[in-house]
Amino acid sequence: MDGTIKGISVNNTSTEVHVRIAGRGTFQNGQPLRRYAMELLGRGCNEFFVDLNQCQGMDSTFLGVLAGIGLRLMQPGHSGKIHIVNVSPRNIELLQTLGLDRLFDVNVVGRDHTHHSFPSEIDFQMLPDSDPVDTSKSLNKRDTANFMLEAHNNLVKADPRNAPKFQDLTKFLREKVGDQQPPNPPHHDHSCLNAPKETHP
Amino acid sequence: MREFRIEQESRGNIQLIHLQGSLDMYSFPRLESQLQTLFQQGRYYVMLDCSQLDYIGSAGLGALIGFAKQARDHDGDLKLLRVPERIYKIIELLGFTKVLQVYTTEEIARASFQKP
Repeated sequence: MDGTIKGISVNNTSTEVHVRIAGRGTFQNGQPLRRYAMELLGRGCNEFFVDLNQCQGMDSTFLGVLAGIGLRLMQPGHSGKIHIVNVSPRNIELLQTLGLDRLFDVNVVGRDHTHHSFPSEIDFQMLPDSDPVDTSKSLNKRDTANFMLEAHNNLVKADPRNAPKFQDLTKFLREKVGDQQPPNPPHHDHSCLNAPKETHP
Repeated sequence: MREFRIEQESRGNIQLIHLQGSLDMYSFPRLESQLQTLFQQGRYYVMLDCSQLDYIGSAGLGALIGFAKQARDHDGDLKLLRVPERIYKIIELLGFTKVLQVYTTEEIARASFQKP
């Protein structure tokens, strides 16, 4: 572990939103980002700049949140775009794999030059609950399933070729969202954490 | 961040795959390819040793559900072994423990296969 602070820091003006991701973008810190972005979209912010310079990677749910912002900006009444800057070769591959490089304005490290200047570090604020290491205990299972389903639906809307990639996950999440059963009681037998006892031959 | 590594060994008819590093969208295709090869060979008894795994992404977990179902359709299974607590919390939070069996010891995991 290095000592770098992980999480999502943000800054906004009346029209522009700046987002910096340090560490991983995951289903955990995707939720506070979504809330923040939706609020600012509602206030009329139409240009989103996402800096991936310190981003080690993103999971599909987090990418689905970014896709959701991009799709929202394409709707009537919005005229902006989501700009992804300082994208590493590893992260551009992820974006390309999911077809998001066509939804976003992508600026790759060492390949493209951005003319946009980010505010200074001191003007950014850390989004609450955006360190993925600290957030999982505070998440609600059903809300998380709904959130993940929406994120993956966004990926399919952004590029229908994503549908088969996530079909097992979205099917599971759809069933989970419709599942009204209460959560499982805590396990005390740790030899097998969740397997049915009768599966021994 | 540790580089993702996969090592496979046989335990009788059961394939034990050791995972190390981060299993994310970038590295998952390697595991996917390995599992597809095993299934093409008719090897449907698989254990994934997660003890050296630092991270697993949501899409990777979702895809493992598909592989577990595919294995079960052929009277096999795909089980997770020695999952670090931090990753187990994620698996549990997402509800994947309902479809992916998680074990703390290899012996009990091996015994749980119905027809190894």
